[in-house]
Amino acid sequence: MILSALIWLLQDFVQVFLMGFCIVPDVFLLFLVMTALSPETGKEKQIVIIWTAFIGGLLWDFRWTNLPGLSAAINGALVAISCYVWQKIPVQGRSVLFFSFIIFSVVFLSGLVHFMFWTIPNQVAVRQFLVQQFIGFPVVAFASLFFWKVNYNNA
Amino acid sequence: MRIINRELTKPWLHGVISVLLGVFILLAMISFPSLHYIFVDSVNTILYYPEKPSMELRNIVKYSSNWVLERASLQERVSKLEIENQRMSEALQRSGVVLPAPRGSYVAAKVTLRYPEEWWQELRIDKGRKNGITEGAAVTSEGALVGRVVRLGDNYAWVELITASSFFIAAVVDETRDLGVVNGDNSGNLKLLYIPDDRKLNKGMQVSTSLMSELVPPGIPIGKVIAAEASKDGFAPMKLQAMAHLTQIYSVEVFSSSEANK
Repeated sequence: MILSALIWLLQDFVQVFLMGFCIVPDVFLLFLVMTALSPETGKEKQIVIIWTAFIGGLLWDFRWTNLPGLSAAINGALVAISCYVWQKIPVQGRSVLFFSFIIFSVVFLSGLVHFMFWTIPNQVAVRQFLVQQFIGFPVVAFASLFFWKVNYNNA
Repeated sequence: MRIINRELTKPWLHGVISVLLGVFILLAMISFPSLHYIFVDSVNTILYYPEKPSMELRNIVKYSSNWVLERASLQERVSKLEIENQRMSEALQRSGVVLPAPRGSYVAAKVTLRYPEEWWQELRIDKGRKNGITEGAAVTSEGALVGRVVRLGDNYAWVELITASSFFIAAVVDETRDLGVVNGDNSGNLKLLYIPDDRKLNKGMQVSTSLMSELVPPGIPIGKVIAAEASKDGFAPMKLQAMAHLTQIYSVEVFSSSEANK
């Protein structure tokens, strides 16, 4: 929980620093999805993670967007969907590649929904969205590597 | 009740509830803008201090990049203006207009020492490094060139006179734009060297400093052509009469440019 709060703050600080240049990828959400999909995470903890994502999204909305509740709903939904899809896949199919696909989808969908609802689509907004996705690639790659190291390499 | 409790352990249901709650909050905030502002203000107030270092860093980066861009733009502009100024100066000199020396950038100084045995070679003035004088700076008297600073201390400077045999300075004949080098002979005479003997320079033509360095601005009168000497190796040295009253120097002006002081 404390780590989640710190990551939220980190994302906020980076957003302050890059304000006007780009929208930072939702690292907070990515971290929560990563934690939720970890083999050690049970259903109860996944529920806590969903509500943590919701609160983090709500705070993000109060700080950055003019649509309070939007990020909260998206975060809650994306974590829940990720958990659902992950659970429905047989254990043999839960590869790092599939994990990468899920977190990339989470980052992409989160950015896309914000782009659609939060901004007035214009050239600057498109540029910011593209930069966000571009920055998102290494973040996703790093998260995948970390997930693999922690959950598979040591197994 | 048992069914509800069982279903509530499923994450997907919490996902649905969170979406519904998010939509509810969104509608509530739209319906009650004052409530929205209270939350927004509270969150922003709480985050104000934690975000301050990030904001400061952002400002530093922003101002630094702006400063660099602005500086580059100004430097480019200065370069263009310098080239334009140089072209205009040359055009004015070509058309016979005598350029006034930029008096604003001169440091006035008094002559404090002039050895009789080196009368035509050097003199000392009462201003030095502390006054912004730099080595190599042009020294004038009543607008005409008298020499150049060769040595200096904090409060004094030695000026090599244009009549010294060791003095060489690039010069231009204002009327014809012929370039040469002015040189002294330690006896009070001046010559303009390296003028091809096929060039016809008339008596009375003015010779001024040419564009040479930041320390010696162009267009400072040096002397006037008084006669041509015998041709030697295809070049005919021209005898000059100094524009400055070299026997009556009591005070001088030392050119000081911002570039020279760097």
